[in-house]
Amino acid sequence: MFALARLVVVGFFVLTIVYICLSLYSRSVRRDKLETEWREGGTEGANIEEFVQKGLEEYDGSLRRKLILGVYVIPIGIVSFIIYATNFM
Amino acid sequence: MGYIKWTFWISFWVLVASFFHYTLPQHDVARITDTYEKRIDFGENSLFWASADTGNAVTSVNRDVFFIQTRLSNDNVMVYRNEDTGWGWPPYFKFDTTNLQAEASDLKSVAETPQWVVIKHYGWRNEFMSIFPNAVSVRAVDDPNVRMIPWLNISILIIFFAFVWAIWVRWRRFREANIDPVLEDAGDSIANTSDGVKKWFGSWRK
Repeated sequence: MFALARLVVVGFFVLTIVYICLSLYSRSVRRDKLETEWREGGTEGANIEEFVQKGLEEYDGSLRRKLILGVYVIPIGIVSFIIYATNFM
Repeated sequence: MGYIKWTFWISFWVLVASFFHYTLPQHDVARITDTYEKRIDFGENSLFWASADTGNAVTSVNRDVFFIQTRLSNDNVMVYRNEDTGWGWPPYFKFDTTNLQAEASDLKSVAETPQWVVIKHYGWRNEFMSIFPNAVSVRAVDDPNVRMIPWLNISILIIFFAFVWAIWVRWRRFREANIDPVLEDAGDSIANTSDGVKKWFGSWRK
């Protein structure tokens, strides 16, 4: 049990670091895109802060942001597959 | 300075290469001649042994280990250990040691009527340290010349080198933009007092 606990704790810690870095990065990319969009015009007179704020709120509810949870899902999937392939295939 | 740099990088890459050579799976075609278990008292070589079967006590200093004795298709002999890797390193998540031993015993054969098997394993055989590769799976094959393409190893190594390359390119760009100009300034000002120092700077800036 100890070995499994160690794997889970260390894995969770490392993946959380990856998750935090990736979500900060993704948010900053989104912000840059919104700012560029505003500068290129056609956004009906909203000022840049409001426009970016609104865009980021939309991003917060979006599927794209939830996809970052794949950071946790994919390794768990890979480990489950390896366990199946090594022991039961 | 050049010698130190080269020694460092050569040792670094030799370590990386041996790490992968030890950890990644390899396939041998062999004929199983016997299976047995033996009590092992781990010593200096304990690093090269895996763990007790998952769920058993981890504090014991010695234990029985399963072995699979084979003759390879190239006529050399090879002995594999058969141990759980459990939840630890390397990440094979192997829990079915005892089942594997049963499969291996079932595939035993003699030289006159060979039953060839492909043994997936990782690790090294080293007589001077008494270490053995750990068998991960066995499967029967008809032809001892069966051809295996290690797709998994190819993909892992490609991903690894892509990663290294990505870091290297970024580091190089960062250095050209931020560090080299500073060193050049420093080099120029030091050059006024000593030529030798500038040469030294130049030698590790290349």
